[in-house]
Amino acid sequence: MARTLMRFTGVGGQGVLLAGEIFAAAKIKLGGHGLKTATYTSQVRGGPTVVDITLDDEEIFYPYANDGEIDFMLSVAQKSYDLFKDGVTKGGTIVIDPYLITPTEQDRKDWNIIEIPIITIAKEEVGLVLTQSVIALSIANTLMNAIEPEHLKEVMLSKVPKKVHEANLKAFELGTKYANEATAK
Amino acid sequence: METREIISTGNDLAAIAAVDAGCRFFGGYPITPSSEVMHTISDLLPAVGGASIQMEDEIAGIAAAVGAGMSGVRTMTATSGPGVSLKAENLGLAQMAEVPLVLVNVMRGGPSTGLPTRVSQGDVRQARNPSHGDYRSITLCAGNLSECYTEVVRAFNLADRFMQPVIVLTDETIGHMHGKAVVPTLEEVQNGIVPRKTFDGPAEEYFPYECGPTEPATLNPMFQGYRYHFTGLHHDRNGFPTEEIETCRKLIQRLEDKVMDHRDEIELNEEFMLDDFNGEDGEVLIVAYGSVSLAAKEAIRHLRKDGIKAGLFRPITLWPSPAERIKHFTDMTKNVLCVELNIRQYTEEVERVSGRLDIEGLYKVNGRAISPYEIVEKVKEVF
Repeated sequence: MARTLMRFTGVGGQGVLLAGEIFAAAKIKLGGHGLKTATYTSQVRGGPTVVDITLDDEEIFYPYANDGEIDFMLSVAQKSYDLFKDGVTKGGTIVIDPYLITPTEQDRKDWNIIEIPIITIAKEEVGLVLTQSVIALSIANTLMNAIEPEHLKEVMLSKVPKKVHEANLKAFELGTKYANEATAK
Repeated sequence: METREIISTGNDLAAIAAVDAGCRFFGGYPITPSSEVMHTISDLLPAVGGASIQMEDEIAGIAAAVGAGMSGVRTMTATSGPGVSLKAENLGLAQMAEVPLVLVNVMRGGPSTGLPTRVSQGDVRQARNPSHGDYRSITLCAGNLSECYTEVVRAFNLADRFMQPVIVLTDETIGHMHGKAVVPTLEEVQNGIVPRKTFDGPAEEYFPYECGPTEPATLNPMFQGYRYHFTGLHHDRNGFPTEEIETCRKLIQRLEDKVMDHRDEIELNEEFMLDDFNGEDGEVLIVAYGSVSLAAKEAIRHLRKDGIKAGLFRPITLWPSPAERIKHFTDMTKNVLCVELNIRQYTEEVERVSGRLDIEGLYKVNGRAISPYEIVEKVKEVF
């Protein structure tokens, strides 16, 4: 597999970090290489955050995604979306929460923009807003075909507390379902 | 060497390494981007009979750590640049009184409060002389996740060997990045622990600061039947203040020589793709350390693909600098590029030891990392 570069963006406090750690760990446990970096601001809540995930069979040195090489971005905040969208390769995939982000007409021409209401799914269908990170993980993995889903699910469960296993499993399944529906359109 | 894999962050690895290396006390005060070192070691230490204290500020944090060092346990504090500024006075005390301790500095933007959540290597010069007076800093610099572990282990052994503080520099990038580290097994680490020397003769024959001209003091742990004095003043063989001319001279000369005469025990470098360097034209030597070396390695991969013979010299021990090795490579290479997340802090050392003033630099001080492409572009632009 060639290098896969994914970027998750949101605002501080949304909990997008976990998805990156799960991706990296899952790839490493398969004998490959994975790195997650997070950049954030000094604002405790509300500052734009970026999580870069690099997966490769070869050793990875530089841990950040180079702008222009990112295959996939997922965003749940308008200001982060605006700040970081240009890092995505033209024609690349950007998943947005349509209740939180309004892309421009030009954006829709430049990128394959997929709208999935991640936060609403987490709140209303799973009933636990924290599971948005796992929904995002599952959407990204389904669209990027990065890691064998059962393996990723197993690593995910090892990273979340037992009492929320069920909710996160549901979140994982819903992420897969919505991603598949979005691509079938 | 037997190894194991740990999937974690640089900050967590530093904490795990400390405990594995026998650290049993942590005194500190949280500061971004180093706080996770303290969070994690606070979880780990009680389980092995150790203690971790969050003090009222950075000064008290290192003061507690120095006190623990006096009592004989392996001790650590962790902070970032602004914290080192506050800890400087007590670092000087530990240099003068010869108290071993490890200080991890996860570097962020400076000066002053700078850019708290952003990466920098702005504390390289500070690490060399954080406090006033003559002494030699031992400063190690982790360049990847594995080294956040191995350099902390090495720091503890060097601190006990040379009886002084040892600084481990990491930075926001490495401290927070999450991935795979390959590190020695716990058994390997424990077998490699060389505790500080102690004196076991009769108490009346014990003179802690009476030692060879290039050797550190032999400080028995406090409260074990040996009495002596700790002071930041110039002191005699028992640690009591003195102004006796020769004693004062010998003391400070010994602080210098105990490190500089044993640099071979401290020096550690990585030479990446330098095997085929033999003095031909068109070679590019990149000097970089810490997280910047990760971008440099990717850049070298690209440059080699383009037919440019490039290699990386990466000091892992920054201070004392690997002067001979730097000179060896700069002597044989036409083009030298230093890449740093500061302005010329190590370039000036490379200039000094190489005797060259034609060394190019690529610097960034806005809290953002230097990308491999920026290095490739710079190489193509200037050479």
